[in-house]
Amino acid sequence: MGRVAIIGAGGFVGARFVEKATLAGRDDVLPVVRSLRSMARNAHLGRPHRLGDGTRPEALADAIAGCDAVVNLTTGDPAEIVASAIGVHAAAKAARARLLVHISSALVYAGIERADLPDDAPPRVDHWMPYAREKGRAEMFLRGKLGDADLRVVVLRPSLVWGPGSPWLLAPATELMTRTAYLVGDGAGVCALLHVDNLVSSIDAVLAHPSPVSGFFNVADDETTTWRAYYEALAHGLGVDPATIHPVAADRYRGGFHDRREAIQGLRLYKLLKDRFSVETRAALKARLRGALGGPAGSAATEIPRPLVKRLQWEMQTTRERLPTDKFRATFGDANPMSFADGIAAALAWLRFIGVDERDAFAPSAATDLDPTALAAG
Amino acid sequence: MKQRLLLIGCGAVAEGLYAGALRKLESRGMAEVAGLVDPNPSRTAALQRLFRGAIAFKTPAEALEGVAPDLTIVASPPGHHAEHAVQALGAGSHVLCEKPMTTNVEDAERMVAAAREAGRVLAVGMVRRMFPSLALAKELVEGGALGDDLRFVYREGSVYGWPVSTDAAFRRATAGGGVLTDVGSHVLDFLAAIFGAPTVAGYADDAQADGVETNCRFDLGFRRAGGTVQLSWSQPLVTGLQVVGSAGELRLEPGVLEAVRWRRRGGSWQTLVGVASSPIDLGAPPAIGKPTTYFECMYHQLIRTLRAVRYGEPAAVTGEDGLLVVRTIEGCYRRATPLDLPWLSAAEQAQARERHWKRRRWAA
Repeated sequence: MGRVAIIGAGGFVGARFVEKATLAGRDDVLPVVRSLRSMARNAHLGRPHRLGDGTRPEALADAIAGCDAVVNLTTGDPAEIVASAIGVHAAAKAARARLLVHISSALVYAGIERADLPDDAPPRVDHWMPYAREKGRAEMFLRGKLGDADLRVVVLRPSLVWGPGSPWLLAPATELMTRTAYLVGDGAGVCALLHVDNLVSSIDAVLAHPSPVSGFFNVADDETTTWRAYYEALAHGLGVDPATIHPVAADRYRGGFHDRREAIQGLRLYKLLKDRFSVETRAALKARLRGALGGPAGSAATEIPRPLVKRLQWEMQTTRERLPTDKFRATFGDANPMSFADGIAAALAWLRFIGVDERDAFAPSAATDLDPTALAAG
Repeated sequence: MKQRLLLIGCGAVAEGLYAGALRKLESRGMAEVAGLVDPNPSRTAALQRLFRGAIAFKTPAEALEGVAPDLTIVASPPGHHAEHAVQALGAGSHVLCEKPMTTNVEDAERMVAAAREAGRVLAVGMVRRMFPSLALAKELVEGGALGDDLRFVYREGSVYGWPVSTDAAFRRATAGGGVLTDVGSHVLDFLAAIFGAPTVAGYADDAQADGVETNCRFDLGFRRAGGTVQLSWSQPLVTGLQVVGSAGELRLEPGVLEAVRWRRRGGSWQTLVGVASSPIDLGAPPAIGKPTTYFECMYHQLIRTLRAVRYGEPAAVTGEDGLLVVRTIEGCYRRATPLDLPWLSAAEQAQARERHWKRRRWAA
């Protein structure tokens, strides 16, 4: 495969793809971002980016001209997922690319209910979650394009992408540190993880294949992990007593205020009303509301930590089956270099770096040649 | 009498941060935006919709002659700040220059000298100086509530989201640097306001080849304190300032403008909320208020600058204050070494060190 366009290079997975490629000395990767601000995430690499937007396929086709393969890693507003998938496909066709790798999500199935779930099983387009529902609808569009011999379409369906930078790592770690972590039932639900480096490696395996076949492929880490094992590995590394993890009933999900708030925030009317107020007005309203609810944030320092159980998290934790990945492995080989243990070690190093683990917060940096406390004393 | 204002640079900073405060000044009859400068006519046209009386210009020279402003706000890309500020000062205008003041020390010194020579105010837009939390932190530190042997950690980072209209901020040639120049300008000024002038004790970043740093970490020493600063454009750092001393501890979040949390050693946490202490008009004496949002802080900063112009009161951040920050940033870059990124594989870390921008420069 020749040159590869990474659409969505400013996102979590796209940025890691570009970083890995750069550090491997590759020059066959063309990062494409939707807005100038998205160039910031990889600004340290000193690598030129191009602007391109899936919802404007003609301009995107110009941006990716000369690329043999296109990888669609775009995320963003759920309302734009289908339009973006259609646009990226159209741009890849117009640019005469030979391969489109589209990254979907195993969330299109809600939970995995069958161990033998075929990779070609249709998504749940009635999913309650807009992101998962629209990802499913994008899959349905691409399903109709699999017969195109000129542009092969490989849809990868990753499970929960974790690793440095992932909300599926940051949220549990933060919850553990604030004593608000929870496990549904006995924590024995399957934690369907896919390390970001394994996803990048899976994409590379598709790109490296001499004649990839169009189709849908689930991708996940090799090891089967439970939520308890995941949380306890993080807790151990962060120095948190696993006994502080709250148990949550597994019989049914009990919605809360945040569900109603999120439902309202997802309404078109809410977005229209929000857009009518300037950022300044919204900031002032928030400040007043905060004052009315008991002072500036941070004033409630003595609250007893309680978990905030969210529907998606609850559903993921009640998953009993592993995402089957045999089809991918049979077609593209074993593409998972990162083991669970290595992934946890990297995760803990990253959590220390970002300050979640504060045990060595006041240690001077490695680059220093003076002891700041000595400076202070002097 | 209304003060005449000229706005150089009509990009995201002007529209997103200054426009609201300037409209408030206009509506209260304290100032009028008389001119707008940007080489891109669509940018001036966008702001003319907010400032109906403003004339659009393509160059600062035309505008300075055409408008004769009392105060010029320089909000152009940082690489142009010195040129535009010196032009305005030379034309007899006072200047409020948005941060970062400049991308190198020589330019900052040139600006300070031009202001001195012209006898005009040179203020730097470090809006966080208006945060009531800063005044509280300064009071706790200076009043001895935290005791001696002060150690601090300051972290600030998230995935970059500012709606820039050019990629100038991501190129060393035009921006001078990355997250240190951008966010670091605010942070260094903030820390200098609390602790005094800093000494750089070590600096590491992740910039490779011709890139700019998206992550950096450095150690600073002050007369009474020492500690570490970590900044990021790409990582969700646990953001905030922690100061620990022999007698107490302080925590401050830049997103919480009005309050700090502190405790005596062994005691429980308390929240201190700032009081109104900042002028909100150009009267003599002024009415006093307290900003509660970032946008209100922009307004308070403009008021402080206009009062400096009218009454000779000190600007919130002077050109000399800005120069100190630019010198510190340059001191950091001078000693830049590769930052440890311990979550990467050993091979990737080695390659990142190999590609570090300083190493490439030495090789060249």
